[in-house]
Amino acid sequence: MYGVLILVSIYALLPFIWMLSTSLKTEAEAFRVPPTWIPIEPTLYAYIYMWVKKNFGIYFLNSTIISLATAVLSTFFGALAGYGFSRFMFNGRKFLIGFFLATQMLPGVLLVGPYFKILSKLGLYDTRTGLIIAFLTICLPFSTWMMKGFIDRVPDALDQAALVDGCSRLGVFFRVILPISAPGMVATIIFAFLLAWGDLLWVICLTSTESMVTVTLGIARTVGEFRIIWPMLMSGALMGGMPAIILYLLLQRLLVQGLTAGAVKE
Amino acid sequence: MKIKDQHMWIPFVFPGTLLLVLVLGFPAIQSILYSIYPEGGGSSYTFSNYSVLFKDSIFRQVFGNTALFVTLSVASHILLGLGVALILNKEIFAKPLFRLIALLPWVVPDVVAGIIWKWMYDPIYGALNDLLIKVGLISTHIPWLYNPRLALLSVVFVNLWRGFPFVMLILLAGLQSIPRVLYEAAAIDGASRWQLFSRITLPSLKKMFVVALALDIVWEVRRFGLIQAMTQGGPGTITEVLSTYIYKQYFQFFRFEYASAVSVIMTIALLMISLPYIWMISQEE
Repeated sequence: MYGVLILVSIYALLPFIWMLSTSLKTEAEAFRVPPTWIPIEPTLYAYIYMWVKKNFGIYFLNSTIISLATAVLSTFFGALAGYGFSRFMFNGRKFLIGFFLATQMLPGVLLVGPYFKILSKLGLYDTRTGLIIAFLTICLPFSTWMMKGFIDRVPDALDQAALVDGCSRLGVFFRVILPISAPGMVATIIFAFLLAWGDLLWVICLTSTESMVTVTLGIARTVGEFRIIWPMLMSGALMGGMPAIILYLLLQRLLVQGLTAGAVKE
Repeated sequence: MKIKDQHMWIPFVFPGTLLLVLVLGFPAIQSILYSIYPEGGGSSYTFSNYSVLFKDSIFRQVFGNTALFVTLSVASHILLGLGVALILNKEIFAKPLFRLIALLPWVVPDVVAGIIWKWMYDPIYGALNDLLIKVGLISTHIPWLYNPRLALLSVVFVNLWRGFPFVMLILLAGLQSIPRVLYEAAAIDGASRWQLFSRITLPSLKKMFVVALALDIVWEVRRFGLIQAMTQGGPGTITEVLSTYIYKQYFQFFRFEYASAVSVIMTIALLMISLPYIWMISQEE
């Protein structure tokens, strides 16, 4: 039993160790045969190179701005809609819920073609705004579902108490529900952020200039190059995965809760 | 307790729905419209893109690749995910640590996962061949991603690494919600371990299985970054899946109408797969 766990742990961790190890090597050492696991001549050259010569700073900035904007937007509108779905029975409710769910199943490749044409017409091709709009297709249904799950768990009695005190429905939402489901909102924003951060398809289709490249695109492009300098690429990979890893380690419990909240119904 | 309120749901639900219809519904309809335009322009509607598609042997191979990739990925996710979940459901020393480690591969973007493993798989300088040779399992360097017979399996192996944690988490949550008393009562009645597993555990997990299965299948059919980073669909079309194929048709060959048709087929397949799940969830509300 422990043997299985240890095997799985090795399976899970080995690639990360290899990535870290390579990122600290010189190019020459990376192409040693047989490869070394602990760098003989460790160096931060790869990291410095990525930031100074390869515009990694721009990639990081783009990824952060776009992902954060999408995450916040989708979580806000998702919370609104989630509250509506959670507290109200109305005609067509099940249908709308089904609609939101179905939109999560649509593949990105269905939409990239039209988006290319529409964004070009609107002058939003190769812009951050265009990407933010595109990412909403991924994040909005997701955030709505997550927020609905969190709001479902807030007792209706709180709404009632506030309403009895003369609060309007919107007031209840902003002054009672949002503050109480703040942890849920944070979890949703983080999830949506990571969803947008990790995307490749949309950025590869809807950008064309260097100034709009994101972290994921920067990494994917390097793979097509004639000669890959692996320490650079591995340092890019580590930095590209860092936000996700850090957020995960810091907020593990919150993330796990949020994830299973969507699936488990009490 | 829900309130039957005539109109107050509107300001809450309407903005999100409108946004969704604008950014998603409208372009989706556009895509369907493109797909029934003839290639090369013209203004009349035609289903020629679809008939071309069904006759195209490359499309059929891509479709088959996708089906194979998804089946192998999801099956392996469930097997490993269930296995690890069952172990983690018991009283284990350092359980939080194991769970933390097990979840790590799922957290990073799939592009990152793709390039790490591409380097791991490097025939000469990569870690995998190095370890396997040191341990004595193989004697020559294996070109994991270049051998046509190994490439798809190699990609699936990476997808297993990347994807099993989610299934494990869902199943673990399901396992933890099974009351212990069920097992204790059955054990007193003389049930064997297999009976405990097949008569109590598996049925109780049914709903979790449906959720995990539906979500995972849909996600794997749509997987793009992982494969694009590792093989770009190669060698040749060995690892070409629907998403990478459609991407190429749009942005390498500029066959807009044809690409739209393929994407519509893909969407129909996805909706058919997820319909039971969507129905189940929305009916529960």
